[in-house]
Amino acid sequence: MILETIKSLRWTDFFLYAITDPRELYRRIRQKDPDPFALSFIIPAVASLFDILVLSLAGKETGFFYYKMSYGWILVFIYAVFKIVIYSSLVDVTAQFFGYKGNIREMLTIANFSIFPGIFLLPVFYLFAVIDFAPGFFYVFFSILFFIWYVMIFVQGISEMHSIDFGKSFVIFILPALFIGIVVFLITVLLVITGIGFITA
Amino acid sequence: MVAILALLAIIAVIAVVDIGLKIEKKTKSDIKMSLPEFGPGVGIVRVEGAIEMSGTGSPFGVPRGAEAVIKRLSEIERDSSIKAVVLRINSPGGTVAATQEIYEKLWKLRKKNIILVASMGDVAASGGYYIASACNFIVANYGTITGSIGVIAYSPNLKRLFDKFGIQMNVIKSGKYKDILATHRDMTPEERSLLQEMIDLSYNKFIRDIALGRNMNQEDIRPIADGRVMNGETALKNKLIDQLGTFEDAILKAKELAALDADAPVYEQNDSPFQEILGSIKNIFQGEMGLGSELFHNTDKIEYRYMQ
Repeated sequence: MILETIKSLRWTDFFLYAITDPRELYRRIRQKDPDPFALSFIIPAVASLFDILVLSLAGKETGFFYYKMSYGWILVFIYAVFKIVIYSSLVDVTAQFFGYKGNIREMLTIANFSIFPGIFLLPVFYLFAVIDFAPGFFYVFFSILFFIWYVMIFVQGISEMHSIDFGKSFVIFILPALFIGIVVFLITVLLVITGIGFITA
Repeated sequence: MVAILALLAIIAVIAVVDIGLKIEKKTKSDIKMSLPEFGPGVGIVRVEGAIEMSGTGSPFGVPRGAEAVIKRLSEIERDSSIKAVVLRINSPGGTVAATQEIYEKLWKLRKKNIILVASMGDVAASGGYYIASACNFIVANYGTITGSIGVIAYSPNLKRLFDKFGIQMNVIKSGKYKDILATHRDMTPEERSLLQEMIDLSYNKFIRDIALGRNMNQEDIRPIADGRVMNGETALKNKLIDQLGTFEDAILKAKELAALDADAPVYEQNDSPFQEILGSIKNIFQGEMGLGSELFHNTDKIEYRYMQ
């Protein structure tokens, strides 16, 4: 069954629609033909590996590279999945807060496929690294570009999921980020105040 | 889509091979893995800046100053794999008690047959030399400032300044010497005599300890123990040090004296990055940016210190 699904190459449609038509991607996710949930976790795994490769190409290669390629990759992957699970959960909770029906399984799948374009950072950055033309600048530039692309896919996925307009789904997407930002800011301020007070005491 | 995915996989493989080849091109030492070293080796202890007891004021109870040095020496004492110690000194000296505590701790290690080699940096004068003298062997650079064997106590006399501004101090004291070294009046002959006696006792102890550590006669040390500073070369002529050389030479000497292999591990004194950050922040807030800024903090103290 699994072998037949792989041979059919229908699973590649998810990747194709992730970059060409995020709304169609969500419709395919909902159809579950095939169920893309497990498949979607291949993307953070590959993205973690590619992140390490990009950073190794950008930085100074050391013997540590070999460690990064083994357990380092697993740690980055676990961290990436952790981030995705937390953020997807917060987005799902926010959607429920606005009165929409929650579906964490689909939300996670959308989140995973949203990071797919980020994988293209490797070939694009590699090109500039090989010709040695402002690789640092293009690393930052394309990182921002691919992040915007990630947001666009995720927001359109939410929009299609709850049948709402882009603006409202963007609010649902951005609210958890604002919440996390405020919490981290307050914690940092408190830690800095406590730290300075303790050190200067 | 399959073609794109296949292309991505090929690019990833090329990147891995590319990075691997770049690493291979480097020399063996450049890609040396930072594996933990073990086995009999040399421990490094660093004495930097003025020697003072300043342990309790440190963030999160991390010892600083002389207490940090003593803590490091205690760790070495417990560590059976450390057969020799290189004491890297870059200090103009400091308070009498703190210096003597480090000296005594070093003697304890020396009695346990742990080889001690002192390596002098820019300055290892007065109290800095005092602690070096506890070592079996002393290495200094040509340009190291050392010597300054002596004891000093000072306080500014601001009486005339106070008079000029019409400031008078109300002093209520339990004994006539309670405000000894007071800045608002002249020092009395009795007070000067009392302090001189204390200074002389500390000085004699200094000479005795150097003689003991260097295995010399006190009479041979006294002629040059008049507070004079000297460079490494002159110190060698006066037998205050054993060899001119660098920090690396000191490590090699320590290995030689402890009958260790030349490639025996060197256990560096590693403060955690967290400790270093906290220490730096504390120094910034307290204005302790270096040795120079501490020069005017030492009034009302009796010190083995080279006054720069």
